[in-house]
Amino acid sequence: MAVDFWLIERILIFPGFTFILLLTLFCDWVERKIEARIQNRVGPLVAGPIGLFQPMADFIKLLTKEEIDPRDAKKTVFKFAPLVAFTIMVFAMCFLPIDGASVISSGGFNGDLIVILTFSTIASFLLFLSGWASSNPYGTISSARVLTQFLGYDIPLFIIALTPAFIAGSLSIFAIAGYQVNKAVPFIIMAPWAFVLFLITMQAELEKDPFDVPDAESELVGGLETEYTGAKLAFLHLTRDVQIVFGAALIVELFLGGPYGPVIGGLPAFWYSLWFVLKLLAVVIVTEYVTTLFARLRIDQVLSANWKIILPLAVLSLMLTVAMVTWVYPLV
Amino acid sequence: MPGTITWARVKSPWVLHFNSGACNGCDIEIVALLTPKYDVERFGIKLEPSPRHADVLLVTGCVTQQCAERLKRVYDQMPQPKFVVAIGACACSGGVFEGNYNVVGGVDKVIPVTAYIPGCPPRPEALIDGVVKLLNALNPPKPKKQPKQAKVPKEEAKPAAEPQVVVAAPEAKPVIEEAKQDAKK
Amino acid sequence: MLKSDVDIVKVIESKFGDKVQIQLGLLGTAAVNTNGLHREILKAMVDADEKTGITAITGVDLGANLGVIYHVHTAKGFFGLRAEVPKEKPRIQTITDIIPGAAFHELEVTDFFGVVFEGNELKGHFLLSEYWPEGIYPLRKNVNPAEVKLNPAPPEEKMHEDRKIVKFIIGPQHPALLEPEKFAVTVDGEVVTKVEPRIGYVHRGIEKSAESRSYIQDIYLVERVCGICNPCHAYGFVGAVEKILKTDVPPRAKYLRVISLELNRLHSHLLTLGHAGLEIGYETLFQYFWRDREPIMDLIELTSGNRVYASLMTIGGVRRDLKDTDVPKIKTTLAELRKKLPFYRKVYTEEPSIRARMQNEGVLSRADAIKLCVVGPVARGSGYDIDVRKDDPYEAYGEIPFKEIVYDSGDTWARQNVRMDELEQSINIIEYALEHMPKGPFRVDVSRYVPAGEAINRVEAPRGELFYYVKGNGTASPERVKIRTPTYANIPAFLKTAIGENIADVPPNFVSLDPCFSCTDR
Repeated sequence: MAVDFWLIERILIFPGFTFILLLTLFCDWVERKIEARIQNRVGPLVAGPIGLFQPMADFIKLLTKEEIDPRDAKKTVFKFAPLVAFTIMVFAMCFLPIDGASVISSGGFNGDLIVILTFSTIASFLLFLSGWASSNPYGTISSARVLTQFLGYDIPLFIIALTPAFIAGSLSIFAIAGYQVNKAVPFIIMAPWAFVLFLITMQAELEKDPFDVPDAESELVGGLETEYTGAKLAFLHLTRDVQIVFGAALIVELFLGGPYGPVIGGLPAFWYSLWFVLKLLAVVIVTEYVTTLFARLRIDQVLSANWKIILPLAVLSLMLTVAMVTWVYPLV
Repeated sequence: MPGTITWARVKSPWVLHFNSGACNGCDIEIVALLTPKYDVERFGIKLEPSPRHADVLLVTGCVTQQCAERLKRVYDQMPQPKFVVAIGACACSGGVFEGNYNVVGGVDKVIPVTAYIPGCPPRPEALIDGVVKLLNALNPPKPKKQPKQAKVPKEEAKPAAEPQVVVAAPEAKPVIEEAKQDAKK
Repeated sequence: MLKSDVDIVKVIESKFGDKVQIQLGLLGTAAVNTNGLHREILKAMVDADEKTGITAITGVDLGANLGVIYHVHTAKGFFGLRAEVPKEKPRIQTITDIIPGAAFHELEVTDFFGVVFEGNELKGHFLLSEYWPEGIYPLRKNVNPAEVKLNPAPPEEKMHEDRKIVKFIIGPQHPALLEPEKFAVTVDGEVVTKVEPRIGYVHRGIEKSAESRSYIQDIYLVERVCGICNPCHAYGFVGAVEKILKTDVPPRAKYLRVISLELNRLHSHLLTLGHAGLEIGYETLFQYFWRDREPIMDLIELTSGNRVYASLMTIGGVRRDLKDTDVPKIKTTLAELRKKLPFYRKVYTEEPSIRARMQNEGVLSRADAIKLCVVGPVARGSGYDIDVRKDDPYEAYGEIPFKEIVYDSGDTWARQNVRMDELEQSINIIEYALEHMPKGPFRVDVSRYVPAGEAINRVEAPRGELFYYVKGNGTASPERVKIRTPTYANIPAFLKTAIGENIADVPPNFVSLDPCFSCTDR
């Protein structure tokens, strides 16, 4: 039985695990720098040139700390939920076309959009479970808030994610990204209402300001991470960060034309990866700006924003897209 | 690998601030460290809310009776490796309140302390200096390179062919004799 | 908001005639020996003037008896009602049914002196730690704290009951509070039903140790009650001692003291406004406010030599003079801060997330504010217009024009707006003082031995009215120093406004009353 070294290399190094890990740490650095600059500060500076290695230092330091497991915590869930959540998120990233082909396949399959959205939901659920299993009152209340928030916002997220699928006529990410290239018009221009709504909903899914209620330090100490130490804490942080990268990557695929862009002088895999990373960084920068510029809403305000504003708007946006596709776009 | 671990620990010290009965002077100066003028996030220092996430415990205050037990408990909750910095005259020894009822006086009476930063309150610059000294003690920086020597003339550059013999004064001979006798023993 | 013009002294004279003795000019407007009629006199005062409230209740060890002095403020006056109880049977009737805001003050006298207020009994300890044995009252003269044997720790209370969270503990170590205090918040889902405070984590026994140090040493001791409002504490103590000594402070010293106090108000308000941003998750606002606070700290260092502890006040004046060459720097820094104020005002008025979190939360009505005797921006945010600088001007405040800021809505937003507007007023006051600074000496010599006598002093600290009572006995150390801090008076208001709130609103509400626990516990 021949061992497919090419596949192993793709899974482990590029565009697989190592690439995703490094990209996540780099996006963490970008976020911290932007937050610092808006706040008139400098941000990480000492760890490596211009502080580039700061997230890496944080990660390594956490891996080498002593692990303390509370006596009352639910042992198995407490120990494995963070790692499993991280693994699922990385696996979800593997379905996205990064250098023209995804890690796992070269063309995707119809319906993989739904699959990766489900993976993201499962990972969020595992985050909730890890807070729930830690038997700390702050963890319990925070994880209850996480659950209410992400389950509520999942519904408009799915609905709005269907908009590009509807225009492209397929539930495959490759097809959606490819459609934008074929028509040479990214969906951000064809359906801008969906793009804005998707950004807002993604902000709420990722629990970033103004929706970062579960992480409210002033009431809940450490939130659902309060009891975690060492490597498990490192993986909880990483899961959150990979979710941010995943959300941005999804926006890139669905609305910004995926990794496809001008190829100058051969080697399309390199250029596609470059365009992917550049577009991803642009989305990360925009969302980080929004995070830094707003205060935090209360949980009931977040939930009422969802049910009273976002969900109806999502449905309306889908209806509008259907109308545009059926009657307006054939004329253009 | 150990070098990388020490590097990571030194570049990413997460702090937890605990007030054990302080007047707020030191605490405000600690919070001021996060603000644009002093900005300790440059060093990777993050203010953490939970004891379980922190590496360095910054303690202010003269440790009142009620806080002594809580201080011990917070210290126990922190995972290894951990360090304690006593900030301010009150935390170092009790300060103005030494001897009052309800005051234990000094953090080192309750938990082991790694670094002391005196002052009432210490300026933010003094706090940064203290923290940097603590980090340098954990990971000593490489000694500075010796400045380049001036060009050495050729004769002196020759290594000595044999050890130089010091022509000892006659009085010194017995010493050499004694040394030879010692070597024989 | 009418200030009543009733002459309280005449009211007391007419109602109680020769059953009480009134000494005018002592302990404020007048001191009254109640001879057991304290409840009736208080009731008469409350009926006559709606703005009557308790500022403090001082316990004093008088040898065979324990003295209880009720310091009462009215719209235009300030009174000290004296009562005495024998040490063998120290019982006196409570006044919490007449003035609910007196509850905390009575509990403190019980804890420190052992006076039992019938109707407001204390179970366990209030300010003293749980290790302190029962029956030993530290502020009595015969108690030497070094010889007291402490108890071992008591059992801990449970937080969980059947896996359901009943009590939610905020503190002692908590990111919202810079200082340790414990608030057991009983929640029903996400709504608060009761708040039980346990204070005393920062109690350092300052009042007791002030009695064994000299007056000059005590200035540095009482300064360290609180690092944020330290000139106010220093001035409170120094002003009371000067009243006993009957010293007149030179005019230049008065203006310099005003500048130091107003610089302190500027930095303290900027601190609170930034901290409020942190509580609602608005880190950017916190960073901006504290960035603008740093030039004020530079000014404090310029005028006094130290960033935080100004230590400028001394008995008889101030410790150092203001150089004329420093004045332009002060004016430029203040002018730059003044330019930034409209931006912050716009943020507070127009930013939607601030309005969503702060408006209509933690509402304290005017009637409640008067009943609970709150002070400072908490009172002025609820339409209760008290400000010691206007009601009872001290130092140079009588000559300097400024506006008293009052808002009516009583919610968190109103309180922070009061502080925001007071920033501009403080800048005006400092600039006026610099323009009209009189020439002359900045200090007079005073004797080290303070004669027997007692005096009170009230200061408008950034958090509210700060009250000092000093009693001298002819030696170089005071007989009694009593400090009533503004946060001590405002905590009962928080206990009331937190009920019925969402638990997420408790921290912003809490920070809006600008709590300073080192002040509370001393």
